[in-house]
Amino acid sequence: MATLFKKDWFGLLIVVVVSGLAIAAVKPAFLSSFNLYVLMVSTSYMLIIALAQMIIIAIGQMNLSVGAIGGLVAISFSGLMEVHQISVPVAVLISLVIGMTCGFLNGYITAKSGISAFIITLATLYIFKGINLGITEAEPFYNIPETVKNFGNAKLGNTPIPFLIVIPIIITFLMWVFMNRTETGRHMLAYGNSVQSAELIGISSSKVVITAHVISGFLAATAGILVVCRLQLGTPNIGDSWLLPSFAAPVIGGAILAGGKVDVIATALGVLIVVIISQALVIFKIDPFFVQIFLGVMILLAVLVNRYREYKQEALRKIFNSE
Amino acid sequence: MKSLFSIVASAAVVLSGGAFAGSSDTKVALVPGGPHPYFAAWEKAGQDAVKDFGLGKADYKVPAEWDLSQQNELIESLVGKGYNAVLVFPGDAVGTNKILGELDDAGIPTAALAGCVEQPTKAKMCFGTDTGHSAYLGTKQLIDAMGGKGKIAHFTGFLVDPNTTLRIKAVEKAVEESGGDVEIIQVIADIDAYEPADEKINAFMAAQGAEVDGIVTTAWVPAVVAAQALTNMGDKRIKMVGIDHDEVVLEAIKAGFVHGTMLQNPYGQGYIGSYAMDKIRGGCTFKANAPWKSTAQTDQFIDSGTVFVDVTDVDNYVDAMRGISLEILKTFEGDFLDC
Repeated sequence: MATLFKKDWFGLLIVVVVSGLAIAAVKPAFLSSFNLYVLMVSTSYMLIIALAQMIIIAIGQMNLSVGAIGGLVAISFSGLMEVHQISVPVAVLISLVIGMTCGFLNGYITAKSGISAFIITLATLYIFKGINLGITEAEPFYNIPETVKNFGNAKLGNTPIPFLIVIPIIITFLMWVFMNRTETGRHMLAYGNSVQSAELIGISSSKVVITAHVISGFLAATAGILVVCRLQLGTPNIGDSWLLPSFAAPVIGGAILAGGKVDVIATALGVLIVVIISQALVIFKIDPFFVQIFLGVMILLAVLVNRYREYKQEALRKIFNSE
Repeated sequence: MKSLFSIVASAAVVLSGGAFAGSSDTKVALVPGGPHPYFAAWEKAGQDAVKDFGLGKADYKVPAEWDLSQQNELIESLVGKGYNAVLVFPGDAVGTNKILGELDDAGIPTAALAGCVEQPTKAKMCFGTDTGHSAYLGTKQLIDAMGGKGKIAHFTGFLVDPNTTLRIKAVEKAVEESGGDVEIIQVIADIDAYEPADEKINAFMAAQGAEVDGIVTTAWVPAVVAAQALTNMGDKRIKMVGIDHDEVVLEAIKAGFVHGTMLQNPYGQGYIGSYAMDKIRGGCTFKANAPWKSTAQTDQFIDSGTVFVDVTDVDNYVDAMRGISLEILKTFEGDFLDC
């Protein structure tokens, strides 16, 4: 238990469990099969979006173009299938390459120019969105193949678990391994912690920055594809609403925006908290004019609970050290 | 003192033949607030107006995003290229007035299309959907489909859009007229992006799908997502009346998952708007005693019409939109213009 308490994500897990049980006690429909399905569907692509931002936060940067990459990939994926009649697997592959290319551009320009990623990704946000609108002229692609539609709405057997969440779970596991068990992942955290120190011990800045952005592009692309599967259409608006949630979950998960500290499991729990709060506002029929106030207060509470746990943990450590 | 923009615009008008105003000299720019499929019909409307009324040009030009300054820059560049009449969906109900004033100073007539600007304004008219009336009629249709009683939910768009408040009130009014037999159990707003709309509408269905009897949607994205949700659930018990003509909504009507949709008339807005601008450039003026309608923003409003379409006429919805337009056009000059 003491080991668990030390984990960054433990406080968040408590928040998730307590809030889930509290909502279910008042509104039993919260634990209905259908609602659990909806909750997992929403969590699925939000999880990937949050990880796409988290990896950039790990190196002390920001990626404002996460949504624009996801949107561009979403319309590319659907357009390739509808207009060019390309098979689903090939369309997925091309779309992922597009996302990674966007990420590479972000990373390469940032690394080579020395300009803040905030500015570079602000510029590329407009470029990627502009290409999106140039291709679609604001008109959605509707003719999505049945296999894609079925994937976006299917469940695992008779369970409420959507197929859609399988890929995000695998990716979350791989991201945990990458950040915690690989040299490149540790280099990213070291770079985020102190660029100068990282360079002094021989870590290549360019390699770290470009790799992080390529992975971010890949993740944003995956999220774009998943959203198309879910919505059953490729609309140019996909990604427009991703920016704030992409930061909210890692920050709730204790990420330090200056870099060097992120936690994959805590970020995943952060996503779950945002989704649960969002659902609770609907379930409790909160007046639409007050929804944003409640959302903000609840997110603030979640962050404070986790900070309180960190504070208590720090206090305990000081006591043990003094003894 | 005229701004530099006004001087440049005036020069462009003269160079483009504005001094000899006539149909073939009229070059209309149709500028939406940003990219949105609702406005796509303006393109065809402009092309038809060129063909039918002999205008020089009537082109649909979309700003890269929903941003007032980008829209203003686009309008300025179009005027620089010789467009001498502008139909605009206001990027901001107050902020857009500045550029409309500058265009008016330069002798370029303008009108607000699909959404109004606040008075005082130099826009010659506001030509759009009476959004409150459309929401009211849609709710009435829903209540009829529900057999006059039951519980309904209302899904709508941006809270900062003044039309949203009008729509919420209109739905409430229609429900009140049921004499207590119909109840609104929830209003979900601010769901004009697909991902949050999908999350919230499906959360609503999961929590309250069993107790709701009807859904009315008064914005494009919620209509699409709610129609998709009912189709995915295979639910034909819950009646739904949507808005606009997205393919997803139209397909759901054909499949029986959506009862019908309240069509707006973007085609007519572009078609008749272009016609009106040409008439104004030709020397016509709006009558002082024209049968204007009033809204919260303006008392120079013309309703571009709305029509309910269900499974019986969904295949001919384009004809329905064109029908409304021709109806308005038939009396437009006599009712509104002194030529």
